[in-house]
Amino acid sequence: MLEISGLKVFHGPIEAVHGIDISVPEGSCVALLGPNGAGKTSTLSAITGTARATGTIRLEGRDLAGLDIEDRFRAGISIAPEGRRIFANLTVFENLRMGAATRTDGGIERDIEEWLSRFPILGERRSQSAGTLSGGEQQMLTIARALLSKPRILLLDEPSLGLAPKIIGQVFALIEDLRHEGMTILLVEQNAGAAIEVADYVYVLANGLVTRHGPSGEFGDGSGLMGELTGVHD
Amino acid sequence: MTRRLLNPDQKRGLIGSAMLAVLILVIVGAYALWGESYQARILYATFVNLIVVVGLQVFMGNGNYATFSHAAFMGIAAYAAAICVTPAAVKALSLPDAPWGLNAFEMHPLSAALVALVITGVIGALTGLFMSRLTNVSITIVSIAILVIVHSIFLHRTDIFKGNQALFGIPRVFGLGHITALVILAIVAARLFRESRLGLRLRAVADDEVGARAMGVNVVRARMIAWVVSTLFFATAGIAYAFYLGTISARPFYFNYVFLTVAMLILGGLRSVTGAVFGTLLISLGLEIIRWLETGPTLGGVKLPEMLGLSGLLLGIVIVGVMAFRPHGLMGNREIEDIVFRRKKTTEVSK
Amino acid sequence: MDYAAQQLLNALSFGAEYALIAVGLAIVFSIMGLVNFAHGEVIAFGGYSMAVVGTVVTGNPLVLMAAVLIACVSVSLLLERVAFRTVRKADITTGLLTAFGVSIILQNLYLLLGSPRPISATQFIFLDRTLLIGPVHVSSLQIYETVTTIAAILFLTLFLKRSYLGIAMRAASRDFQMVRLCGIRANRVVATAFAISGLLAGLACIFIMARRGSVTPHMGFDPVLTAFIACVLGGFGSLPGAVLGGFILGFLEVGVLVLLPQTAGGLAQAAVFLVVALLLFWRPDGILTPATEKGDKL
Repeated sequence: MLEISGLKVFHGPIEAVHGIDISVPEGSCVALLGPNGAGKTSTLSAITGTARATGTIRLEGRDLAGLDIEDRFRAGISIAPEGRRIFANLTVFENLRMGAATRTDGGIERDIEEWLSRFPILGERRSQSAGTLSGGEQQMLTIARALLSKPRILLLDEPSLGLAPKIIGQVFALIEDLRHEGMTILLVEQNAGAAIEVADYVYVLANGLVTRHGPSGEFGDGSGLMGELTGVHD
Repeated sequence: MTRRLLNPDQKRGLIGSAMLAVLILVIVGAYALWGESYQARILYATFVNLIVVVGLQVFMGNGNYATFSHAAFMGIAAYAAAICVTPAAVKALSLPDAPWGLNAFEMHPLSAALVALVITGVIGALTGLFMSRLTNVSITIVSIAILVIVHSIFLHRTDIFKGNQALFGIPRVFGLGHITALVILAIVAARLFRESRLGLRLRAVADDEVGARAMGVNVVRARMIAWVVSTLFFATAGIAYAFYLGTISARPFYFNYVFLTVAMLILGGLRSVTGAVFGTLLISLGLEIIRWLETGPTLGGVKLPEMLGLSGLLLGIVIVGVMAFRPHGLMGNREIEDIVFRRKKTTEVSK
Repeated sequence: MDYAAQQLLNALSFGAEYALIAVGLAIVFSIMGLVNFAHGEVIAFGGYSMAVVGTVVTGNPLVLMAAVLIACVSVSLLLERVAFRTVRKADITTGLLTAFGVSIILQNLYLLLGSPRPISATQFIFLDRTLLIGPVHVSSLQIYETVTTIAAILFLTLFLKRSYLGIAMRAASRDFQMVRLCGIRANRVVATAFAISGLLAGLACIFIMARRGSVTPHMGFDPVLTAFIACVLGGFGSLPGAVLGGFILGFLEVGVLVLLPQTAGGLAQAAVFLVVALLLFWRPDGILTPATEKGDKL
């Protein structure tokens, strides 16, 4: 589904990712793990078109080079970004409406209602401004917004960041559900244990390079990754 | 830690200023050797503009704000100096209705200039109370408001300022020598300010206001000082203007002059004093050619039509063109010595 | 009674004109951080279009009104395309200076192609009649102006709340990149902002022409400057702030004209700005500051 090869990502003159290969097969959940500054978010930015990058990124065989942010989204790449970035000045409903902005079919209202009933707390606050939601609720809203366009692949950037353990459980339960529904997911996480549990395949990124990759089974519960993820080796 | 008189950057700034001073002296020398007498006035005007543009660089350039009030401060100083220095006998004719005994005294030019500097500086400090606290956009809008307010006072109080009529009889005490000395002084002062801790802070704030605040830079204080310093440059230019021409009116201290000087600074590059100098010289030269075209000259036997607004049009095109294709101007972050010595500055901030 | 009602209507109609223009400035600023100094020249373009269409094609006021609105929207879109698109990602000062340059270019084009002297275009003057409502004499133009402005603001609010593009514009004022990450084309959002801004400028132009009956290169300058001050006072980039600021400026101006002696009439604007300066000292970021973080817009 998504094939990345020789990807280098730049922030101004600084090269943040130094040539990596990543493959996300259709219907699978691939986790991208690594410490802060490893280049995980940069990789996602390169895929969505918000960062300058070289190398090739193919979605279903189509080269994304030269496509701008909007066209990559229309090709089927949707992101629930780091920091959630909900539109705080819009209502919950309006945020979801923005997620379906590119759709022209008649099912938008129905799909929005479906998400609102899936997360009753969002349903109750549909006319409330999204800035008043808690972190966990905002995360659910972000994911729902990203899915309303019916994307081919969902990019999730640190969905558990800054959330209480109980809420983290809910977020991962949702990811698990999405996987069972057949959604293709590229998940960026620092919470290695939980990510390995939902993922089929794992890449470990450090200093802009893939240091290790393999089926999630090879990683156990992720505790062996501690050294690589924190940069502390014993 | 002992504080030296000048930091290393400032010492390099002195070398750069010396190079620019040589350039200025070469221009004056060329005029002395080959120039015609009518060109003295053009050269003088260019040098007055140079002081203004270098003064603009102090606040607008280091802080990366757009301000348009400089013509007002120039006007305030020009009128203050003119009213102080003009002999009472002349003022009895030119300002017969002036209040507060303004037409009943006269001063030595040096004291008149000092009074003008103090008045402008105080008004600069008062306006600085606002300017230093406002946000980026508001600074620009309020600076325009200052320009409009001051201009409307010039026009309205005809008993003091004569409005759009000429205030005449100002002793013409300045010549090309004086202005040359002032220009060089202005360049040195602007360079020393740019490389000072305060100038460095302002430039840091321009790059990243939130970050600089977090580092403990007192933005308000830095802006306040830069603002007042830059008004003193404008005051100097205004005084020099009045002391050379002998007559002043409100009209030149308004938008057209603001367009001109801002375009000069933008062309050279806001961040560099060298840019301010080059931009001023280039545009002054260009304008002389255009002014000649505007009057509808005869070229190769063909009388060209009179084209009012051509110079303004080209100034606008210079501004838009530079902003679109080279937003940091001709010089960018560089000063003259960076080019001459081909030295890569370590302090350069990548964006 | 007569006097008080007249002054109240004065204040409302002044405020309405400033609000119309200020909202046009604020909507562009809120979305792309551009301080559009060329807005006054858009208004003047409407005036020149009216003068040209009025002499060459027809003097029918309704046709002319449509012509003014179309002209203002078109030139606003054109400026976005040729001048402001290149600096869309630049910092505020670069965008501001570009707009400043565009404003100078247009003013001088009007000088070169038109005339520094006023060109007469009097077809809208009929809007300005003295009406007798009960015992009170009022100007019909001022009523039209106030009512039109309120209607325009209501329509705009409805558009921003109900339409998908309107919601996208509100979202873009907070996080433009995220809007693009939802697949909404940046060019479309920006163009809509400029079209609305141009339309509001066109409405203001019709009223200004009805009052003046002639067009000059600088006719947009004074009202736009006051509208800018209104934006600063209301909180730059906030649409409600622009409306509020516009009406405050209208009332201040009338207040100053009423209170100041006739002889000081030339200083009215200066007095208004001084009052605004004091208000800003109290709230340096304006009354209704939009809660945007300082950061990249695109």
